[in-house]
Amino acid sequence: MGLGLALVAGLLSGCTGDSGSGDTRKATIRFTFSKREAIGFMTKLVADYNASQDDTEVVLDTSGVDVVSASFVRGNPPDIALANYNMETSRFVQRGALSDLSGTEAASRIREDLKPLMDQYGSYPGRTSALPYSVMASSVIYNKEIFAAHNIAVPTTWSELIAACEALKAAGVTPFYATWKDDWTIAQGWFDYSVGGQLDTLAFFKKLDAEGVDVGPESSASFQKDFDQPVQKMLTLAKGYVNKDAASRAYGDGNLAFSQGKAAMYLQGPWAFSEIAKTAPDLKLGTFPLPMTEDPEDLRVRVNVDLAAWIPEASKHKDAARDFLEFLYRPEVIDAYNKSQLGFTPTKDSANVPDPRVEGMVEYYNEAKVYQGPSVLVPRTIPIMNYTQAIVFGASPAATLRTLDADWARLAFRQ
Amino acid sequence: MSSISTPATTSGKNRQTRSSQPQSRQTQSPQNQRRKRGVEPIFYLFLVPSLILFTLAITIPGIIGIFFSFTDSIGIGDWEFIGLTNYIAIFSDPAILQSYLFTFGFSIVTVIAVNVVAFLLAVGLTSRIRMKSALRTVFVIPMVVSGIIIAYVFNFLFSNSLPSLGTAAGIPWLESSLLANPDLAWIAIVLVTAWQAVPGALLIYIAGLVAVPGDVYEAAEIDGASKFQQLVKITLPLVAGYVVINIILGFKGFLNAYDIIVGLTNGGPGTSTRSIAMTVISGFNGGDYAYQMANATIFFVVAILISLLQLSLTRGRNAL
Repeated sequence: MGLGLALVAGLLSGCTGDSGSGDTRKATIRFTFSKREAIGFMTKLVADYNASQDDTEVVLDTSGVDVVSASFVRGNPPDIALANYNMETSRFVQRGALSDLSGTEAASRIREDLKPLMDQYGSYPGRTSALPYSVMASSVIYNKEIFAAHNIAVPTTWSELIAACEALKAAGVTPFYATWKDDWTIAQGWFDYSVGGQLDTLAFFKKLDAEGVDVGPESSASFQKDFDQPVQKMLTLAKGYVNKDAASRAYGDGNLAFSQGKAAMYLQGPWAFSEIAKTAPDLKLGTFPLPMTEDPEDLRVRVNVDLAAWIPEASKHKDAARDFLEFLYRPEVIDAYNKSQLGFTPTKDSANVPDPRVEGMVEYYNEAKVYQGPSVLVPRTIPIMNYTQAIVFGASPAATLRTLDADWARLAFRQ
Repeated sequence: MSSISTPATTSGKNRQTRSSQPQSRQTQSPQNQRRKRGVEPIFYLFLVPSLILFTLAITIPGIIGIFFSFTDSIGIGDWEFIGLTNYIAIFSDPAILQSYLFTFGFSIVTVIAVNVVAFLLAVGLTSRIRMKSALRTVFVIPMVVSGIIIAYVFNFLFSNSLPSLGTAAGIPWLESSLLANPDLAWIAIVLVTAWQAVPGALLIYIAGLVAVPGDVYEAAEIDGASKFQQLVKITLPLVAGYVVINIILGFKGFLNAYDIIVGLTNGGPGTSTRSIAMTVISGFNGGDYAYQMANATIFFVVAILISLLQLSLTRGRNAL
């Protein structure tokens, strides 16, 4: 199988793209966008743009992330993309495959305080390689009706959280609905919220990068040292306050169960809202950051750059792509998009009124009290999702975190 | 990985061709005909398409992969040679060592399970029973369903049906999913893999059993051998060649285990069921291309060693 894939890559790299379909007056640009939930929205937007001017024909390409990676290898990448910003994309950034967008009008309107989120994935000297388009904030989703029925206020400290859990448990309500069968739900929710809620992930990963091959028990930052306490707290919640069948429940099961009021809290992102609404459209839901310390000042929400815009260096129609980029960043367009997806607009002039379900996160987002989850900041070659699942299923946290350190050092050794 | 399984198939063919060769040389090709060097060019023509395809699809990419295993390439962009660094890193990587241990352990257990079950079924299905062909059809059905679909169906059974059955019946150990248990999840993978692999082995065994002449059983019966003695002392030795074929083919296939594991556990819980193929593939998604190419190269060498070993074993077995 491995050889088979290598073959495909080898063959494809042999034949470079020859998509130049003559020099017609109208430039055709390929726009990659594969966020499934929003394809309808984007299709309409592209049609509007094509109808509004005569210079450029934008073709929407929804074929997905893997195809994009392959297209870079072939030297035939899309002309512009709105894609999830992650370790995968950062490879294109770091190797200089994306063009500089710093001169665009859109770039000047991006909030300065969000820049660290982008830079955390690496950058290319002297370039603004990608612009954030949609920021997703995630935290604890809670069932307002259950909280009200048991007179429970939104907890802002760790002890309040435990008290709330105890109260719910005493009333026969499952505090958290967990779906541990899908390891990503542990990584993005349980693990990331616990760590991000009490650790400065930005500083941590900076130190970790600096240590490189030396990461271990003696280094200034290490998983075994810095993550130990957060993971212990995660286990306190995971052991005492979840549904009994958590280990065999998957994400889909969780959405259904939570919509049926089978638990009070759910560690998921805003993407779960539309799924829950399918069975319970009128359920009153809210969000709050998972409190991990005794100081409400420490409260933070997890964010990820759900979409970032970039234009590859290899694009043959960069100017046309830039025009379309400016169109995408028009205040009314970018706000409408983010409203439809419960995302946050990363521009300074955004006038978005957030959906009541994500209201609980607005103040944190506006004050940039945000972090990116450690699970997405670890290179994907380290199976961190599997590790977090192992911990929740009973593996020794200390040993697992030591393995993480060793993996990190080993990766630094060979890269 | 298909290149790895070819030695097994050729070794299978070897048996047949070698036994038929002496005959054909005597009857069809006298010595003087050989001198004319008159090999029909059409035979080369038959070979060319497969040769080209095999070279393009297997050999060249394989060499490219081995080449990149000495670099720090991530699949795109610039790269440079880093010598044996990837290989050194692999030998100290517990995740990769664990994937080798798991894959080999899993393959051995599965190959035993598949062959025991398939052999017994074959004996049953070739003896005088009712509804023989209907039963054969039923047992062969799993072979025609794709592995990933089987895995998802069983995933649902293990995660939902069995636990709710356990809850309803009040059996505590059945209430939690087998797939969620890091120590036992491999059993589920063996079960499902075997379920899919048994029919293939079964067909080969049936073919072998049918080929055993009936008179040896009659003779044994006259001599007063019991049914069990007939099975152990007559059937088993006479189909030994088929046993070897099945073990080789099965073992090779199971070493490449991928789709069923992805569908059942995706390598979890934790990393307890990650196979070698899964770690190799992770290099493509994770930007660890060169490193996993080194892993694939090592796996390739290991597979060749096993093939050679099995080849020599089969030669010995042919005497039977």
